[in-house]
Amino acid sequence: MDAQKVDMFMMTNAKYFEGHHLNAIREKLLSLDESKWGLVQTMQFKEPTTSLIVSLLGGQLGIDRFMIGDTGMGVGKLLTCGGLGIWAIIDWFLIMGATREKNMETFQNAFY
Amino acid sequence: MTRNKLYSLLLIACLAGFIYLFYNICTLQSQTFRVCIIKNVTGYACPSCGTTRAVTLLLDGKITESLLLNPFGIVVAIAMTIFPFWVLIDIILKKESFFRMYKKAETIIRKPWLASILILLALLNWIWNIYKHL
Repeated sequence: MDAQKVDMFMMTNAKYFEGHHLNAIREKLLSLDESKWGLVQTMQFKEPTTSLIVSLLGGQLGIDRFMIGDTGMGVGKLLTCGGLGIWAIIDWFLIMGATREKNMETFQNAFY
Repeated sequence: MTRNKLYSLLLIACLAGFIYLFYNICTLQSQTFRVCIIKNVTGYACPSCGTTRAVTLLLDGKITESLLLNPFGIVVAIAMTIFPFWVLIDIILKKESFFRMYKKAETIIRKPWLASILILLALLNWIWNIYKHL
């Protein structure tokens, strides 16, 4: 794919991924065929900041985990009152990274 | 989510759960220490408030009382007895049957009709909890 297009994608979407993912994403996009550009452009990623807000407000009920697609952990959090309140607090710090990992999974499911 | 991450997380969670349960049984009469943030901040019960009491009632053999206090207690009790053994057997035999079950369960739960029923049940349980003043 055209380097200019890839750089445009990287600039607009870098915030959705972890730093160590960026290089792999860039290389993957460069190796892709030009016809995939439409698909690349329409991909939807979850905003880490939104999940942080949801985690602060509804973390006790596991809503943050449900939102990013970690259904199993969401059920666990809901049933144990946010892991006795401790897990909910830990997740305030982990949820942004978890969202970025989920975004990377979405990307990988589409192109690998 | 990898297999090892899930297994270690589950084992830690179950261990913490057993320690908390043991602590709760030892200091049964002095119920001054509460962990639930929602309960502490707002004064209203959360959907899973009373789970510990339900599990202790279950351990005493009072199944009906436990169900009436909070049905989540039985779900948590079943999960806490089965999951650690399943995970340990998986680790010893170097298999990943639990991990595959977890993934499959996630996709089943995510089906819209089932998800909405489960959410409705959790909400009803919450309303019931507030009504009971847990």
